[in-house]
Order: sequence, then structure tokens, then C-alpha cells
Amino acid sequence: MRLSRRGLLRAGLAGTAATALGGLASGCAVPTGSTGRNMVLWYWSGGLSDTVVKNAKARYDRSVDLEAIQIGGQYRSKLITTITGQAHIPDIAGLKGEDMAAYLPNADQFIDLRTLGAEKYRGQYLSWKWDQGIADDGTMVGFPIDCGPVAHYYQFEVFRRAGLPYEPDDVSSGLNTWEKFFDAGVQLGKRVPGAKLLTDINSVFENVVQQGAKRYVDKDRHFIGDQEHVRRAWALAVEAKQRRIVSDLVSGTPDQLSAIQDGKLPSQLNASWASFDIKNGVPKTKGRWRVAQMPVRPANSGGSFLSITKACREPERAFEIITWMLNASNQAQGYVDAGLFPSTPASYGLKPMQEQDDFFGGQVTTDVFGPAAQKIVVAYNSPFDIALGQPLKDEIKNVGVLGKDPKKAWSDAMSKCRRIAKHLGVSY
Amino acid sequence: MAVLEHTPPAVAQPSPTQPKKGWRKYWHLYAAISPFYLIFLGFGLFPVGFSFYLSFHRWDGLGSMEWAGLSQYQYLLSDSDFWNSIGNTLIIWALATFPMILLAMVTAVMLNSAVRLKGLYRVAYFLPNVTSVVAIAIVFGSIFSTNAGMVNAVLNAVGIDQVAWLNTPWGIKITIAALMTWQWTGYNAIIFLAGLQTIPSELYEAARVDGAGPIQTFFRITLPLLRPTLLFVLVVSTVTGLQSFSEPQVLLQTSSNDSTFAGGPGHSGQTMVLYFFQQTFDNNDFGYGAAVAWGIFLVVVLFSIINWRLVQRRGE
Repeated sequence: MRLSRRGLLRAGLAGTAATALGGLASGCAVPTGSTGRNMVLWYWSGGLSDTVVKNAKARYDRSVDLEAIQIGGQYRSKLITTITGQAHIPDIAGLKGEDMAAYLPNADQFIDLRTLGAEKYRGQYLSWKWDQGIADDGTMVGFPIDCGPVAHYYQFEVFRRAGLPYEPDDVSSGLNTWEKFFDAGVQLGKRVPGAKLLTDINSVFENVVQQGAKRYVDKDRHFIGDQEHVRRAWALAVEAKQRRIVSDLVSGTPDQLSAIQDGKLPSQLNASWASFDIKNGVPKTKGRWRVAQMPVRPANSGGSFLSITKACREPERAFEIITWMLNASNQAQGYVDAGLFPSTPASYGLKPMQEQDDFFGGQVTTDVFGPAAQKIVVAYNSPFDIALGQPLKDEIKNVGVLGKDPKKAWSDAMSKCRRIAKHLGVSY
Repeated sequence: MAVLEHTPPAVAQPSPTQPKKGWRKYWHLYAAISPFYLIFLGFGLFPVGFSFYLSFHRWDGLGSMEWAGLSQYQYLLSDSDFWNSIGNTLIIWALATFPMILLAMVTAVMLNSAVRLKGLYRVAYFLPNVTSVVAIAIVFGSIFSTNAGMVNAVLNAVGIDQVAWLNTPWGIKITIAALMTWQWTGYNAIIFLAGLQTIPSELYEAARVDGAGPIQTFFRITLPLLRPTLLFVLVVSTVTGLQSFSEPQVLLQTSSNDSTFAGGPGHSGQTMVLYFFQQTFDNNDFGYGAAVAWGIFLVVVLFSIINWRLVQRRGE
């Protein structure tokens, strides 16, 4: 047969079509999620201890090929779009604590862990943390990883120089109310020129809200951000500004980091995981820090969960893996590797948790975070808290950084919240 | 001897056939170009249509969609944060683009007259454009920081009080604009350089004979003849500037619990696209996010029409 351009073109197209069909056929053969022994676990950088992940792979090697994938970037968006797309959904998915509000109303996308025997583990975990993983209809979506008890990080030498208590126990008891805390800030400003106790006004506002039992939207989809608990948080934040104990800097900026290093911002109210941020952000301050209890009552910030998606073909096996990875011993390892403070109180007494931390001058930080974690009270987690809390955070930041009038700021926040509530279908 | 006369054998005439119809004649051409259109259909057109559909619903990305009619657009029109983001975007665009064009023009003229190391200069000026935006935003964040920044160190050295660049509404906009100006000056200088090289040298020779100096030559010959290039640069800068995102996001993100798309204190650096990201991915409000996206589209269309009118006027 004589060769021709047309003939070659036909042959090429036929080959392409055959390849495409082959791909399509093999694509159809693979169910969503995993195949055979494959089991996929999604988590983010710092979300789990790499040591524990590696050990889990080795431990369950005979029954499954555990494939643990670190997902970078916008983790929640990627997980949501993957679930919505109904393709390549992981079997086990990490869920960030601050995103639980988005997952809980969609509990039908996950397997109810109670059906796999989760209840018998309940007693080993912090009860408030356990409850946070449960949807309104009682479905247990998330199994606890870590929690984020908030404490008062401070540079003891600056406190000593300011004539304030500087040993952890003395700071915990001496600054145990917001008024005493603010008084200490005023004294700091007088004795140490240029020093401010806290970086930003939002750390007061948000911690006061977080240490309470209510937030911005309740279980009945009713806006409660204009009620007494938020008004009080707002008033305390404004007082902190007016008494000049907060700076006008923004967290995470070079200005803030250099001020911390110079001892001009000696305090932070931050979660247990923030110790890694401090160590990485201002490494030269090693040995200068101590940790004490925060005023009134500990708040919680962050803390994640593992879930089993509906796409998982072997949920019993997945549950076995999850419960092993998140037992007391492995959670203690998670703290050492990744700063993941355990949600299992039994971990607190284990050797890795009792090590002296040189960065904190040899202090055993578990002695502060452990008791704090067990005293935490948490609010109902509404999917509308983010949208309806944002105007308040924006406006209090305007008061702190831009010097906006607090009354005007509150009024602006309230009118924005009403608009957003109406838009989202939240009553007020 | 008789002459033998041979008749050539009869040649069969081909039977007449009907001409092929159009599509059968050119099917292989359609097949050749079809991959682009199929990909565009699946990954370009469908998402556009779906986002339009989405903008009439409420959806959190996981649950069921709930019909919302025009309420998303009604909310958009009365959303002061959206209008604020439009204002921010336009201000930052203006603060960045006009100095950039001026600097790029001057740079291009200098590059055009350079004799030695011409290639080296061009590469050097082009480098900012290919540098990672994230890395540069972090560097600019340090340069413009209040207490430790280089800019304030210079200002203090000449007796000017330090400015809280990243904590004040105008400081934020100026910083973002400076970053964008730095990033795009070299790129557009290369484009202007290309435009300069299309100007016939005879015009300059004639001007020189007539006694025109360099300043006069620039404003009477170079600038008028560069006008098409200038308009091109303006159009591209407009479309690019209206979609700015990474610069304010990286520059103003913080390690606190605040949104990385908030655009700093007072939302002073929140551009339209940052606002879209905040509504969609922070709030899981995909329906409203789609409406915001269409709002952005309309703004870009409006400015494209304005630019088109400018170009048309030049043509007349």
C-alpha cells in the first residue's frame, strides 16, 4: 500500500483514540478512594508527627498499603473540592479544628465513628475535645488529634526588671484576672520604656471570647455577637488599648519580631503550638521565656481531628489505624515532633512530655499546658462564626492599629453583622 | 513494403463523480484543531457557566445548593467591603502604574542609547519580573517595616519622622504599589525598547540637522511615535492591576488568627480578588463568591471598554 499523508494522519488519530479509550476503561475500573490494599491518609505539614506516620505505615504493612500524603496550601478547600468531585477522596482525612464548623453540618460525608466502636475510647480523651468532633445530630465525625490550650508566654527577665512577679507560679497567681493583668501591663510600661505587654488588641478580644462558653452564633442559628459576653470582651480589649498595654503592631510582621527580640513585647497569650512559632521566629531569645497560666481561665485555640470519609472501603481497618496513631503514647511523640499538645491526659505524665525545655529555661511546659487543657470550656461551633465574627475582629483591629473610635467601631461592626446575618439566613 | 499504422489503445475516461460535501472534505482539519476547543469547552467554558449558575445559589461546597435568586447580587451591590476593595484596587493600580510607565520610558530611552553591556542591562532590568512574587513581597515587607525597615532608616537619616507603612491605609497602598512598580518597570521598559527600535533613525537625523536638542526630540518625535506602545502597556497594566492578588496577600498576611485575605488593618490593601478569596474560601460562601467574581468581571470589562475607546480615538 502506498504511504500518504492522509493515511498516516488516520493511523495517528486511531492510535490516539485507542489510547484514550484505554485510559477511560482503566479509569472506570478504579472506584473512588482506594484500590485493593491501598489506604490514603491526607494531612498537612505539622498536622501529624512524621515519626508516628512512619511507624503506622510499618505497623500495618501486612494488611494495608498506608499512603500518607501531605497536602500543602489551602487544605480545607482541597479536601472539600475533592469530596464534592467524588474522585480520589482520601480514606482518612485530617480536619483542622478551626474548619470543623464547615464539616459538621455535612456529617453524611463521613462515617459515624460511633458505629465503629469509638465510644469505648471516650474516657481516654478530654471530654470537651471529644464533644467538638460530634455533629448536631450526634454523628461522630472527628477523632481527636491535638488541642491548643492557651497560656501566657513571657520573658522573665523583663518582668523582673519591671518589678513584676517573674516565676511561673507567681505570674500565674499574680496575673490571674484581666484587671491584674492590665495593671501589670501599666507597670511594665512605666518601668521599661517603650515596652508593651501584648502585641495586638485582638489577642485580648479573641481570647476573652474563646475562654467563654458562647461565641457569635448559637445552635438555633441565632446571632449572639451583640450579647454581654462579646460586649465584655470588646470592653476589655478597648481598655487594654486605652491603658496602653497593647502595641499598634501586627502579629507576624518584622516589626513585631524585632520588638520581641528586644524585649519590648515580652508577653504573648498564645496556644501550645505557638512555642514552635516563637522558637522559629526569635531563636535568639532561647532561655529567656517562661510559661504561666493566662488570666481567669484557659482558652483553646486550634486542635485537629482525623476522620474516615464515606469513600473508605475498609472503615474498620481505618479506625484501627486512627486509634493507634492517636493513642496516648503516640500523641506524646506528636508533641515532641510537631508541638501537637495531646488530647489524652494520660500522655502528660509520660517521659517525653516531662522533659525540661531549654528554650523555656528548663521549665517543664506540660506543667502549665496540661492543667490548662483540662479546664477548657468551649463554645458551640457554628459554620457562621467565621463570617459573623470577622466584622468584630476587623473593627477591634481598627481600634488597635488605626486608632478608630471604639463606639464608632462597635456600631460599624454591628451594622455589618446584621447585613451578613440577613444574607446568610441567620436570625438576629 | 507497407507502412504499418498503429492506433494507440483507447484510454478509459474516468466516470464523473459527485464532489464531496464540505465537512467530509475537511474533517481532518477539524480533527486537528479540536483538542484546543474540547479543552476550552471542558475547562474554560463550563466553569464559567457553572459559576454563573452558582451565583444564584447558596452553597457551602459540601452540602446541597439552595436557590437564592438575585439576592447574592443585591447583597453585592450594597456590600461596602466590595466597594472598598474596588477602590483599593483602583488606587493601588494608579499609584503603581503611572510611576512605572514613567520609569520604564526613561529606562528604555537609556537602554536604547546604551552602547556597551547592552545585553547585560536588559537582562538586569528584566530580572524583577521573573523573580518570585512571594519572596519579593517578604523582602518588601522587611524594607517597609516601621521600626526596622530600610525606608524608615533613610527617612530618619534626613530628619523625617518614621511612617508606619504597613499599619496605615495609605502606607499599605503605597507599599503594594512600590512592589508592583518595582516588579513591572523592567518588563515594560523592554516593551518600550522594542517600540523605540521601530522608529526610523532618519527622523532623528532630520531633527538633529534642524537643531533640536534631546529633550525636544523626545517630546516631539519619540513620544508621539511611541503612543501605540504606550497604549498597549497601559491596557495590559490595567488588566493585570485589576487582578492583583499575591502582592497584598503575602505582604499583609500575619501569623495571628486573622484571615490571610483580609488585606491588613482596615482592609486597606484588600483588592477585589483578595476579597473574592476571603468570601469564597474563608467563609465557604461559594454562591456569593461566584457573584463577587462576576462583579469583578464587570469591572474589568468596563475598564477594557474604556481602554478600547482610547485606542479607537487614536485610530481616527
